[in-house]
Amino acid sequence: MEIKHQVIVVGAGPAGLNAAKYAANAGCDVALIDSGKRLGGQYWRHSGVDELDRKLHHNFDAGSLLMDAVRANPHITIYSDTSIWSASIVDNQIVLRTKSGVFLTERLILATGAYDRVIPFPGWDIPGVMTAGAAQALLKGSGVLAGERIMIAGTGPFLLPVAASLASEGSRIVRISEASGVLAWLPQLHVLLRNPSKILEAISYFSILRRNGVSIRNREAVVAARANESGVLESVTVAKIDSNFKILSTHEIECDVAAISWGFSTDIALASSLGLKASAAKDGSLFISTDEDQLASTKEKSYKIFAAGELTGVGGSDLALIEGAIAGLAAASAKSDKRRLFKVRKKLRRFAGSLHHVYRVPLGWKEWLTPETVICRCEEVDYGTIVHAKNQLSATDARTVKLMTRCGMGMCQGKMCSRNISDLLGSSDGDRIRGSERPIITPITLGELAQEGLL
Amino acid sequence: MIHFYFEGELLEAREGQSLAAALVQNQERITRLTRIKSTPRGLFCGIGSCFDCLLSINGVMNQRSCITEVQEGMVVQIQNGN
Amino acid sequence: MKQSPDAIVIGAGIVGATTALALTRAGFRTLVIDRGNLANGTTSAGEGNILVSDKGPGAELDLALRSRDGWFEIAEEIGNSFELEAKGGVVVARSDAGVKGLRDLTSKQRSAGVEAQDVSAAELRHLEPHLSHAITEGAYYPQDSQCQPMLATAHVLKTVANNGGDFLPGTTVTKIKHSHGRVEGIETPDGFISAPIVINAAGTWAGEIAELAGSSLPIAPRRGFILVSVPTRKLIFHKVYDAEYVANVASGSADLQSSSVVEGTQSGTILIGASRERVGFKEGIDYSVLRILARQAIELFPILAELQLLRVYRGFRPYAPDHLPVIGEDSEIKGLWHNAGHEGAGIGLAPASAQLIVESIRGIPTFMDAAAFSPSRFSKEVVA
Repeated sequence: MEIKHQVIVVGAGPAGLNAAKYAANAGCDVALIDSGKRLGGQYWRHSGVDELDRKLHHNFDAGSLLMDAVRANPHITIYSDTSIWSASIVDNQIVLRTKSGVFLTERLILATGAYDRVIPFPGWDIPGVMTAGAAQALLKGSGVLAGERIMIAGTGPFLLPVAASLASEGSRIVRISEASGVLAWLPQLHVLLRNPSKILEAISYFSILRRNGVSIRNREAVVAARANESGVLESVTVAKIDSNFKILSTHEIECDVAAISWGFSTDIALASSLGLKASAAKDGSLFISTDEDQLASTKEKSYKIFAAGELTGVGGSDLALIEGAIAGLAAASAKSDKRRLFKVRKKLRRFAGSLHHVYRVPLGWKEWLTPETVICRCEEVDYGTIVHAKNQLSATDARTVKLMTRCGMGMCQGKMCSRNISDLLGSSDGDRIRGSERPIITPITLGELAQEGLL
Repeated sequence: MIHFYFEGELLEAREGQSLAAALVQNQERITRLTRIKSTPRGLFCGIGSCFDCLLSINGVMNQRSCITEVQEGMVVQIQNGN
Repeated sequence: MKQSPDAIVIGAGIVGATTALALTRAGFRTLVIDRGNLANGTTSAGEGNILVSDKGPGAELDLALRSRDGWFEIAEEIGNSFELEAKGGVVVARSDAGVKGLRDLTSKQRSAGVEAQDVSAAELRHLEPHLSHAITEGAYYPQDSQCQPMLATAHVLKTVANNGGDFLPGTTVTKIKHSHGRVEGIETPDGFISAPIVINAAGTWAGEIAELAGSSLPIAPRRGFILVSVPTRKLIFHKVYDAEYVANVASGSADLQSSSVVEGTQSGTILIGASRERVGFKEGIDYSVLRILARQAIELFPILAELQLLRVYRGFRPYAPDHLPVIGEDSEIKGLWHNAGHEGAGIGLAPASAQLIVESIRGIPTFMDAAAFSPSRFSKEVVA
């Protein structure tokens, strides 16, 4: 079944929602596709239980208004619970294949967001060790506290809201270990001062945490985890680290959950499938670059692919909303004056850029590993196997290592390990970018593939 | 309140919760044993990206519990391998 | 040694690696060179097939029989670190013509030294419990084997290095120098490397390499896709394919030839093929081809409809117009040898091709007559 729309937006987080709204208000017939059951993406993940959602989101009202507006808009058709398993350009048309049909358009806005960046350490595969995003999703999506004694660690502004919402719901947070130094913001102070709302936000989190007796330590990281006889998390090793992530001293902390965040990795799978080449930022993160109208595809093509939100570089929900608006207007070829939007975008991008400097992740985490540390979780490939392949079997690039050891070949399609493998091998950015081609984006059965009326 | 079976035991959950959340609420963290080394795994990324929280739902394996809503009468089992 | 080896092998795929192994064993100081890393080309898109079942009597079958044993000898020598397994092949036929053709083939193959057993419906059920009940005729080939091509290439190359050989990855050959009809060596961006013997083992790109010497080799790409499933419990016990496969290999048509090939691997994935198209080096994925592969696989094994797919491999098989590999000395330039064009059978035929070419280089009696594989068969002078 073919489904045609003037504009298709993929991803119903802040960027996608706003893109759909702006494009529809400019007169376009819009489809909004999302793999989740509810709108909101990760940032506005909610349970549908109103009081809980309102309590947990610091600006849920704004999100809720936007979601209601999108739902009520007669020009927007929402396709929830719809995963795109492959995409390509056929005869200058954008083709998105899903189990409910094949979507066709000449104007696409990608707002596929990001997922937690993870770093391996001994014991990170023990049940109870999870990303901060997982702890957040349990709470916001299902009203469930991840555990009774929660360790929060990693780096980045995301640790605070996660800890704050858990703490205010009665969770015992045993510690927050932030890898960056106390004075990490000093060189970026001028940027911080231009974003007073961010300062206020941080202050509100700090006060919630202080009220709940949660201690925050800097220059600390979780470097190992231990399981009890039942096989679940029992304790973690917390280390004092230097700015290169070298371990200076350690001690054990008992906990049943370790929620860890090292920032976010953009989800470029769909973008790559459509031929958009990712770029590498200074810190090695991949993103899709766009022009001032959020256009990612080459201008000469008759079809247009826009990108908005975390996909163009992790920058938070306010930036995602702005980029979504610009993309929506551009996709609709609307004649509006976007200068104010451009100005706000510039400021927010500046702030996002400063986060990269403050919350660095140097390669020193390699020293935390043992040969038995699993690197590819799906295929259970450990560090020793990768080193052996590199040193003994000439597997000096990520592609060769992958084909030989199977790391990166599991069900998660390399989301959890590709970046780490590249870092462990010292791969070039070009190498990492090349390795991201994925003809099948999300698993599809043979039966489903056999049925498709494909172009 | 809705009810579902996990490894033969009847557990409670709230409507709209993910299966992974319902299990965590019931102190169950292990959803599967890995294929090669039979190591226990469970919820990790929570948003459907990592494929670690897989378990068998009504006889069908490799279901991501974190993005599957719990349903009344679901029969859920820890899965062995893939 | 990198300055003037006894022999240079261009191409670090399975054919180049095994050739280098045979050379080092025979005492040649060998340099393997590749513009990329090892197994950068078709080898990494291969299933790892080592088959005798898909060839009728002839030179290629003789090569395949010897090569199959060659793989087990390599495993004996360097250890089975590459998942080598004599899993056996099951070929099924569905149409009346297909059944007759298969019975014909097995009888001829037996005369040529292949263990080919015609099997009853009951025996088929026993060999492959999940095979569609609509299939009642087949043959079983216990000699058919499989390995993991990346690991095989890597371990063979490692042995080459242990034997004193060298591997130069990431280095492009820009010219093959020769004078007075004799090869002198190769030019690379880092300089000239002299050698009296240069072997073109560049697979699908062997034609390009031949041109660097001012010679030519009519090797063209034949695109294929393989579907890869998620790792799963063992459902398929042998390499199973439709008898139509053999006809497709020999087909001269440029159009899509596809027939079902299904097998499991040691890592638990199930591989589904096989398609053959002459579309040049066309990038991208043709989803309509994938759909046909999926349908055909389900016809053989209905249970596979539930199987989740994770990946698609795309590879370009190197083939010569007569579908036989090219193994022998260049018709014009002495010291330039070609070992390429193994079309979908590169992994299976590699050890014996290596043996053949090194015996030829050494001037000792070859284990079989290599005339059928000679590069001279394409010479412009030799026109009927």
